[in-house]
Amino acid sequence: MAFLEPVAAGQEPIALGARRRLDLSRLGFAEKAGMVAIALITVVALAAPLIAPHNPGATVGANLQSPSGSFLLGTDDVGRDVFSRMLYGTRTSWFSALAVVGVGAMFGLLVGLVAGIRGGWVDTVLMRITDAGLALPGPVIAIAVAVALGPSLLNTLIAVTVVWWPWYARVIRGETRAVVVRPHFDAARLAGVGGFRLALRHVIPGVMPVLIVCASVDLGFLILTLAGLSFLGLGAPAPAPELGAMASQGLEFLFSFPWIALAPAVVVFILAGAANLAGDGLRDLLEDT
Amino acid sequence: MAKSTQATRKRDQPEPGGDRVSARVRGLDARFANGVHALRRVDLELRRGEILGLVGESGSGKTLLGLSLLGLAPPEAELTGGAWLADTEMVAASQETRRIARREHAGAVFQDPMTSLNPTMKVGRQVAEAAGSVDEAEELLGQVGIPDPDRRIKQYPHELSGGLRQRAMIAMAIARNPSVIILDEPTTALDVTLQRGILALLQQLRDELGAAMLFITHDLAVAAEVADRVAVMYAGRIAESGDPGEVFHHPCHPYTSGLLNSRLALAGLVSAGEVATLPGEPPDPRALPPGCPFEPRCAFAEPACTQELPPLVSAPRHGGADACIRSEEIADQLVPRLDPATSTGVPAAASPASKGGGAPAAALSLERISKEFHARRQHHLAVDDVSLELAAGGALGLVGESGCGKTTLLRIAVGLEDADSGEVRLGAGGAPQMVFQDAGASLTPWLSVYQLLDERLRGEGLESSAREQRIRETLALVGLRPEIANARPHELSGGQRQRVAMARSVIVPPALLACDEPTSALDVSLAATVINLLHRLRRELGVAILFVTHDLAVARAVADDVAIMDGGRIVERGPSEQVLRNPRSDEARRLVEAVPTMERAWHS
Repeated sequence: MAFLEPVAAGQEPIALGARRRLDLSRLGFAEKAGMVAIALITVVALAAPLIAPHNPGATVGANLQSPSGSFLLGTDDVGRDVFSRMLYGTRTSWFSALAVVGVGAMFGLLVGLVAGIRGGWVDTVLMRITDAGLALPGPVIAIAVAVALGPSLLNTLIAVTVVWWPWYARVIRGETRAVVVRPHFDAARLAGVGGFRLALRHVIPGVMPVLIVCASVDLGFLILTLAGLSFLGLGAPAPAPELGAMASQGLEFLFSFPWIALAPAVVVFILAGAANLAGDGLRDLLEDT
Repeated sequence: MAKSTQATRKRDQPEPGGDRVSARVRGLDARFANGVHALRRVDLELRRGEILGLVGESGSGKTLLGLSLLGLAPPEAELTGGAWLADTEMVAASQETRRIARREHAGAVFQDPMTSLNPTMKVGRQVAEAAGSVDEAEELLGQVGIPDPDRRIKQYPHELSGGLRQRAMIAMAIARNPSVIILDEPTTALDVTLQRGILALLQQLRDELGAAMLFITHDLAVAAEVADRVAVMYAGRIAESGDPGEVFHHPCHPYTSGLLNSRLALAGLVSAGEVATLPGEPPDPRALPPGCPFEPRCAFAEPACTQELPPLVSAPRHGGADACIRSEEIADQLVPRLDPATSTGVPAAASPASKGGGAPAAALSLERISKEFHARRQHHLAVDDVSLELAAGGALGLVGESGCGKTTLLRIAVGLEDADSGEVRLGAGGAPQMVFQDAGASLTPWLSVYQLLDERLRGEGLESSAREQRIRETLALVGLRPEIANARPHELSGGQRQRVAMARSVIVPPALLACDEPTSALDVSLAATVINLLHRLRRELGVAILFVTHDLAVARAVADDVAIMDGGRIVERGPSEQVLRNPRSDEARRLVEAVPTMERAWHS
């Protein structure tokens, strides 16, 4: 068996644990800045109750004050601290967006995986339902839900999630099909792997990069959508601090006291932009590995 | 020696007084920024009216050599030396000069015509871009042997078969009457019968056009068949060159001899287990040894071999040249020793199961299997009422052209596909396993070798230490070190991936191992190793093997019996040797004729 031994004899290029999967040097400045900004925003949102100098819902001073030492961004028309309301608003908007994307992505992943792996009539039925979901216009559904159940943040989130998941189901189903036709999927089936384990070990890691990238790019868009809906009065009821609602309320003072509307608007802008950049960064990190 | 050199030169002349060099490289050297030294001061001449076969394993630098001649080497490659296409030096030339030289003098055909052709453009228009007008395109398509060219020019690339697509590519390559045509693995993606047609076409075009062709291939037998002169490349150097008949019958470089033995072992002409095929793997192109690059794998190496790069000098046993400092002494030992028992080709089937007395149980029996595919209201009967039996521990080659239904039948046999009608019965033992054509793709990329092997053991009810022991043993069985268990597939070489895939398929010994063209995409030395491994698995584990291939010669190397498939039916079945020597059906005869001539020459 001379032909078998030499290969085993010491010149194997084994690269044990070589190459970390995440190589930060691949990121450009903008992507890094986006990821840092997202991290900072998350910390700020979590720590809002500790950072905020005033109660966001209470009148804490004279109305319509200009920015000063005690009110960093001044006060609004009923004397609430704009800076504190902005911190709490960021918290609400950011975590709402995360919740919708998280739930939508999970549900979409489930539907996409089942459709992609099972194929056949299961695929057809699930994808027609998905198409129906995609055809529903998000804001209209949100308005309908608000009318039916009364405007509340939770109702809006439910309405948005209902129209949000089909997009993920579509994407994941396509990626799953691409993984399933690879020989490694057949090989795993022949190795006796089936059902949940087959999906978990041999399919999900292959679709995860796409899912993460879609979700992170999606966050920016979702923040804008949610802000738009609460701008229309379809979010949390009036006194609760919420970025879109704050912008909406401050609109009438836009020319006299611009910070009331501009502060939340700028935060929305930064959040959406940072989420997009961070999404690009994640994509660069996960590609080709 | 001088005399024989002269004789060869005469033979090499394409026509009287026409010993004109159409293209040549001088001292061509290529390095990449990551340290890969891809070409090392290569000298090569391409003469008018000849087909030069450039043979080498993947990574030997043969493709880069072809691209450099076309002025298409990737910009990251740092080239020095010279590459002349007609009279233009392509290494130092500006992009514009290179483009003009390419347009005037060169044509190119690559491996995969589907990616080289624009899928959104009709074939006629695409060829017309090179030819000038659609009428000329039609004429060209006729010239390259495409039937009904007037109909074909109106079709899109996906409507053409693989063979016709490659012919369309050739039509584009010859459209401007180039003096040099670079063909990079033009037949590798085709089955043997289509390959035979393309090779004949190339020879015909060489005679008609008088162009010089550089035929790049990893397949020795193909080069032997088509080329007027061959050059064998190894680790960025020419190892040996000369007349193919002489080089392959009297190799003077141990690498050529190793390749040859691999190919002959692959064709079942030397008994694989006894002849040392090429051991080890090619050297890392980032850290090439200072001396002969083949020295680490060479059975004849001596200290002098590690001193400096051996130059290419006149060969002792033929009119060409070789780059081995010991070729004078060792050439006599390099001639392949054919198996005296070639009448069987296969090492006598010694399957434990069949030795055990009594009638062996069947590892697989297929009864009246049919399978139809539906696509856009078209029905395609892939498998048509096929019955088949494979004895435990036996080996059967399922041979046919692309689209004959052999892969579908294989997938039905292992249970990856359901038959529309008929019955599949499997013998006792582990669940059937399969070795895929692309072994790398059959390993889940994000799992480690250990995880992949361990997964297969889950149903066995073993403790983790027993499982680890089993994994070690199986890795050893396929010739891998245990440390490899921690690696992921992308960290492995092609050969290691193939071995891991095999380890997974036999770690729980299956009653049936189905192989779907496991050698067709591999370099010959690797392919021969795979065949050796299959023999070993069969011998030591008593696994029955169902081997699908389009190459009858390879089927014989693996299997005692072959079944010829055509149009979803089995048209002939019999002992491999008998079918190869004396085919009864037209389909079998066609396949036998497609076996490369080199092997038929060796065989007779």
